[in-house]
Amino acid sequence: MSVNEQDMDEQARTPIVPGSPLACALDDFAVPELSAGFAEKVAAAAQARPPATLAPLPKLRRSGGGRGWRLGRRIAIGVTCFGALATAAAATGLIERFDLPVPSPEKVWASIIGKPATPAPVAAPVAVQTPADPAPAGLAPVRIEGPIDTPEELGEAFRRIEEVRQGRIAARRQRIDQRIESEIERRRAAGQRVPTPEEEARLRQRIEEARVRREGARSDRIEARREELLERVEQGEALTRKDIMRPLREDARTPEQREVIERLRRMSPDNRREALRQLPPGQRRELMEAWRQRREERMRAAPDEGKPPATERPAQDMTPPLSASGTPPAASPR
Amino acid sequence: MTASGEISPPAPAADDAALVARMAARDPAALREAIARHAGALGRIAFRMTGDAHEAEDIVQEACLRLWDHAPRLAARHPAGTSAAAALRLSGWLARVVTNLAIDRLRLARRISGEDVPDHADDAPLADARIEADQCGASTRALVLALPDRQRAAIVLTYYEELPNAEAAAAMEMNIKAFESLLHRARAGLRQAFAGQGDAQ
Repeated sequence: MSVNEQDMDEQARTPIVPGSPLACALDDFAVPELSAGFAEKVAAAAQARPPATLAPLPKLRRSGGGRGWRLGRRIAIGVTCFGALATAAAATGLIERFDLPVPSPEKVWASIIGKPATPAPVAAPVAVQTPADPAPAGLAPVRIEGPIDTPEELGEAFRRIEEVRQGRIAARRQRIDQRIESEIERRRAAGQRVPTPEEEARLRQRIEEARVRREGARSDRIEARREELLERVEQGEALTRKDIMRPLREDARTPEQREVIERLRRMSPDNRREALRQLPPGQRRELMEAWRQRREERMRAAPDEGKPPATERPAQDMTPPLSASGTPPAASPR
Repeated sequence: MTASGEISPPAPAADDAALVARMAARDPAALREAIARHAGALGRIAFRMTGDAHEAEDIVQEACLRLWDHAPRLAARHPAGTSAAAALRLSGWLARVVTNLAIDRLRLARRISGEDVPDHADDAPLADARIEADQCGASTRALVLALPDRQRAAIVLTYYEELPNAEAAAAMEMNIKAFESLLHRARAGLRQAFAGQGDAQ
């Protein structure tokens, strides 16, 4: 606002001072008297009016702009209130509690510019914790296209699946070794007691025994399943990918779920717990349910194995799995 | 204080209620009394709003007739001897009717003529020869008539009729904040036009 406008605004707020030039000019606006006999004329006209006459009073005179401004102000207040409430609800997580999808700013921006959204924020801690993937290509799921109706084709499919399985077993073993070493390093850096070479060897042996026992049971199940499939093919039945891959629960998951689980697997227990806490409630529930189902299936399939390993429990319930000697977990989380 | 003379003191509210009750009973003397009390102020408002003496007299007459017509309803709403009767301000009621009628006539005249009436001096002969002869009065009239209708009404009611802002706002059926805003704009417009006149001279 310029100086002149400010002066004019201040002048407008002050009343017209009597005696000022403007007041003198205004006072020159003389008014003629009403005509003589005006009262009599009006009274006569009033008495002459029929009793039923009732002229309507003039309506409210509002300029259109004023009404528009009032309406606009109400709309603006309404939009502001709604925005404030929506922001507060989003900030307190109220909307997600009702399972209403709330797109993140990244997703909105990605939809505007047409690029894929950046990964979810739960992936942030992975950058620090993720070990190098030993053979990512080898861990890729096996693709089976078209029906399989000959034992040769089925054998080839089994071979490829077995390759992937062995690659995953090797990667898992490597991860376990890395975790053991990193935990020992951590304890050494923190000045805590580290296991002696004998203790470490005993621990590794126990882990290996547990792994062999678990893999053996799993191999038995897979072998039985394969024999069943082979019999079906020999009887002339054509198998689809679904028939073959169905028992592999991991591959039956959605790609998004698989990605999330894979990320969670690579985290330390603390980070995993924190990442789970940060997940949207709906997704967290799905993951927990998947874990629970998996555990039940495992217990049904191998009742003689007893209680499942601690790493099979949902990460939220897990405490940092240290052995009595303070070494890392006996098996990697799956 | 107005240019045309004395301001009649406002009648007590009880008198207004009694007067309306008499008019409701169709007593012409009551109407004459009301005219005697209020017609001067109403004439000033109407004339300063329209700038035409005949038009102003028509407006005042119309307002008085409406008072006559609506007296029974007013009397029923403000029965004598009650607190509602104390709230009745006949001057305010009539000022509101006159202001609205004047704005109606100005808008009608603008629609019929197709021109922006208040923005230029009236070239037609004035109703009152004395004002016509008075060059100074004509320029002042042009100053006031150049204001938009509602701003003009705000100036007429508060400056010329010396109504408090609250009463003037009630006469214009506005809330007090909106009226004060309107009054500020009217004063600013007046000062600007007055400064423009000074520069032109």
